[in-house]
Amino acid sequence: MPPKKNPADFAGSSGNKKRKEPPQSSSSNQKGPDKGRDFKRVKVNDARSILKQTSDAALKNGDLDVQSFLKSREFEIKALQNGIKKSKGGRTSRAFQQVPRDMRRRTASHNVKRVPKRLQKRAAKEMKDDKTPTVDPSKRKPRTSRGRLRAETAKRLGMLAAKKKAMKGKSGDKVAGIETRPARPKIRKNKLNEPPKPKSKFRKRQIHKTWLPTHMWHAKRARMTEPKNPLWRFSIPLTSTEKSYRPTHRAGGARGAVAWDMSYMSTIQLEGPTTSLEKLLKAMGVTEKWLWEEKGTKWRHGKRTWSGWLSRNITDKPVLIGPSSIFWCPTDQQTGDEPANKTKKPPSFRVFVRIHPSAFLETWAEIFRLSKLQRPTIHIEDLRFEIGSIDITGPGSTETLLGILHPYNQSEDNMEPHAKTFRSLAGVTNPGSLPLNSLLAFSIMDPRLRYPPRPVKMPNTSDEEANFALFDMLSAWPVDSSTGSPALFDRDTRFKATRLPAQKSLNRRKALSQPGDYPSIQATDFPIPIMLLTSRPAAPSAQGTWTLLAPWKCILPIWYGLVHYPLLSGGNPRFGGLQELRQIHFEQGVPWFPVDFPGTKSGFIWETEERVKRKKEWEKRPKGKRVEWDSLDLGEGRKGEIGQGWACDFERVLGVMSLPDSGKSVDTSQDTPKTPESPPKEAQLPIEHVHKDFFSSLLSSPKLELPSPSAVATVRIILTSRGIASPCARIYRLPLSKSSQDSSMTRSNAQATTREQWLSLLPSTSNSKPLPNPNSKAAKNLGRIPLNTPLPQRVRLLAQSLLQQPPLPYPANKEEGDGNPLVPDEEDLIGFVTTGEFNLAEGKGVAVGTVFLSKIIEGFRRDGMKGGKDGRLCIVRNAGEKIGRLARWEVV
Amino acid sequence: MVRLKNRYLLVNILYPELEDRKGKTKVPDIVEFNQPTTDAFTAGALLKGLKAEIADVFGDYGSGAISESLNVKYLSPATSTFILRVSRAYYKLAWAALSLMTSVPVKDGKNCVFRVVRVSGTIRKAEEEAIRRARELILKAR
Repeated sequence: MPPKKNPADFAGSSGNKKRKEPPQSSSSNQKGPDKGRDFKRVKVNDARSILKQTSDAALKNGDLDVQSFLKSREFEIKALQNGIKKSKGGRTSRAFQQVPRDMRRRTASHNVKRVPKRLQKRAAKEMKDDKTPTVDPSKRKPRTSRGRLRAETAKRLGMLAAKKKAMKGKSGDKVAGIETRPARPKIRKNKLNEPPKPKSKFRKRQIHKTWLPTHMWHAKRARMTEPKNPLWRFSIPLTSTEKSYRPTHRAGGARGAVAWDMSYMSTIQLEGPTTSLEKLLKAMGVTEKWLWEEKGTKWRHGKRTWSGWLSRNITDKPVLIGPSSIFWCPTDQQTGDEPANKTKKPPSFRVFVRIHPSAFLETWAEIFRLSKLQRPTIHIEDLRFEIGSIDITGPGSTETLLGILHPYNQSEDNMEPHAKTFRSLAGVTNPGSLPLNSLLAFSIMDPRLRYPPRPVKMPNTSDEEANFALFDMLSAWPVDSSTGSPALFDRDTRFKATRLPAQKSLNRRKALSQPGDYPSIQATDFPIPIMLLTSRPAAPSAQGTWTLLAPWKCILPIWYGLVHYPLLSGGNPRFGGLQELRQIHFEQGVPWFPVDFPGTKSGFIWETEERVKRKKEWEKRPKGKRVEWDSLDLGEGRKGEIGQGWACDFERVLGVMSLPDSGKSVDTSQDTPKTPESPPKEAQLPIEHVHKDFFSSLLSSPKLELPSPSAVATVRIILTSRGIASPCARIYRLPLSKSSQDSSMTRSNAQATTREQWLSLLPSTSNSKPLPNPNSKAAKNLGRIPLNTPLPQRVRLLAQSLLQQPPLPYPANKEEGDGNPLVPDEEDLIGFVTTGEFNLAEGKGVAVGTVFLSKIIEGFRRDGMKGGKDGRLCIVRNAGEKIGRLARWEVV
Repeated sequence: MVRLKNRYLLVNILYPELEDRKGKTKVPDIVEFNQPTTDAFTAGALLKGLKAEIADVFGDYGSGAISESLNVKYLSPATSTFILRVSRAYYKLAWAALSLMTSVPVKDGKNCVFRVVRVSGTIRKAEEEAIRRARELILKAR
């Protein structure tokens, strides 16, 4: 029997139409159903309807019959299966929606060519069907008169350029055979380097800033610094346009890799004899004894890097500038350690000093001053736009580098020893597992010759022998017996490397090579000198970081290979901006320069800029919706936020730069009005940063004198219970205990809260809390009632357990601040949080803050130097909030 | 935007009253149990009957709650199977009403049982269940 379409089939779906028919529907109906909305509706209805049979199909001559029964069931199965298939085809999703998540930036456009090739046809059809308005940019007419002028000028310029080109082509034939060498960029000694001259097309956009070598790539994928206010005179990617917080956390620790273009880091080259260099570096704060003794030979021979803080002397007091890494040009052992064999002129050595751009000028000025004082003299070169760098971290970082960096000499026998060691690193999942501060220097070939990168063959993880060999190699580190290539220190080599062959010629060579093969190296391919540095974070298990140094212009081809490398764990390495850099530092528990060091000049400048930004943000909000700092009630009659709510108000704690009548800000019963906005004095900072070694020595020995009141240090703060601390949060030490307070009689009115109240908030013995012992009495009482308990006993146990924990009162008692003790007075304010949020690595709120040394040490000694229980406790209160949270602090 | 949440009920109509089949060919009980429903039982008839039952049992509240979303997605008289769409909040009302219906809601309808065999969030799963059950029935009837 033929299946019949039931006319009632459509009745149900057409009965409740969502939209009214468009007015022209009648006319379009006459044209036929293959136009517009009607057509779509019919199509959808058609796709969703399922065929069915009338009851006759299951009967034979009006009577039940097994055969027809089976037939009708079979028909139903087929109809349903068909229906499922049809409805899948008739989905309403658009081609744009099929694009994978990480290509989504392309979906926002109505340009068909921006979706992947396989979807372009479908997208074009869909757009034609629903008449999406599209614009052909080549046919777009300028709307404004300015635009028209611009278009006309562009057209005329184009014609001019074409004419010029034609002329050149004619005259070029005559002088063929004469090849001119492009001018080698000048690097003047003892002078600041100029940024590379951009193409005229982009020159106007780089007047007050410099683009990173990967700027074009990043500008399409990341939020950059605003054009009008660049950061540290660079245009730097801030954060990826796609969601990246959790993916970055995963890529940085669990699987994958995160890479940054760090070409904005500044490099300074020092050149001179060892003795002078030693004197200069010692004056810059590289004073650790072992570096200049037997132990430091590896560093002085260019086999290790040193990273630490640089400082400069101001009136015989060292002022910290910022963290830097310093490494020497790799040299042979014989010449390196013997300044004694004086022939006529002591051999000169080279040292690279790498420093954050925000501290560059400060460092440069200091090094310049010191270099003039040395005899024999030291030449310094500013290599800021000469040497670029890429940082990469995560378990896949080593694998990625192996996949994109191919040593220039490929044959086994003349491969550089450093390159050989580098190739054997397959299987390393953490760059921190390499020897501390190790360094690899060798030459690679143009990464475009091996583009697109192919996955690296990794050793089998269950292969014991290979694993053992790898560990053996990592501990023996055979590279130490050989010298790395000093090519990166050589200006000529660097320059030659930047003369990369044109992409066109590479494409031609690729086309000529066998399928699956790479084009071979020609004489015109110069080796690219690179250096690979490793660094290890403070936490033992955290991921280390690779730093790749290469000539500035070679960064872009390396970057292209890097971001397209197919990781074995799936996907490609992610890229990060400043936000991600900050996040990774935060998760590893490392403070990030300059933000977390407001005691340095660069950090303080950042802080003042942040203040302005936060204040603007605050003023922008309507009055009813912003925190009213003045009316914040801290309890006990204390009103108003301490200092400016939008600032880490160090000046307030010190008592400088505030109004004259509120000079002594110990009295907290009434808050002083806002301190007037005064421009930050960059010449003299109100606070000075102190190195963490000094901080820990102060903590360990009670005899040491307290530092000056303006000394600050960085601490890491881990909240003991719930809550998170945000930037600008106030850090208090624990208030004095009652007994000692009575004896001192410093204040007549009662203390806002007692120390005991705060200590009671501390979770009982932190190690037993997460895993309660099943055998302990408490666990037995509170645990589940065993299943085999008889009913009356069960009831009793249940009642008992209910009575044990009385329910929280409702509504919560507002007077007591929800059971939170009141925060201490302002005299116990010791510092401010600079970075703070929920830490995915720890699973709780963590913050990095800056505290006044004198205050925190005073509190620490007052408590009897107990390192464990309550000595290293503090209270954190977010700006504009009443509730303080108990937290532990540790030196970082 | 808020997504409208629905439930799809897959319902079988069963005829448990076995007739006296004298003079007729002997068929297995299972075939008689799942015998086809009369052709007069259309989607409209089903909706009308169900709405009447709901109004009877749950009053105005029930009919109001149901009326917006109730829809027949598939109805096959030959196999006595249908799929209903009800809003998620009130599908239990429809289910209860179906359970209380004792005859096919047409003129002189036979006594029957409406058996809800599957409640699912997507029509696809309901369809898959219907296929599975049809397969099972074929095996049983053979």
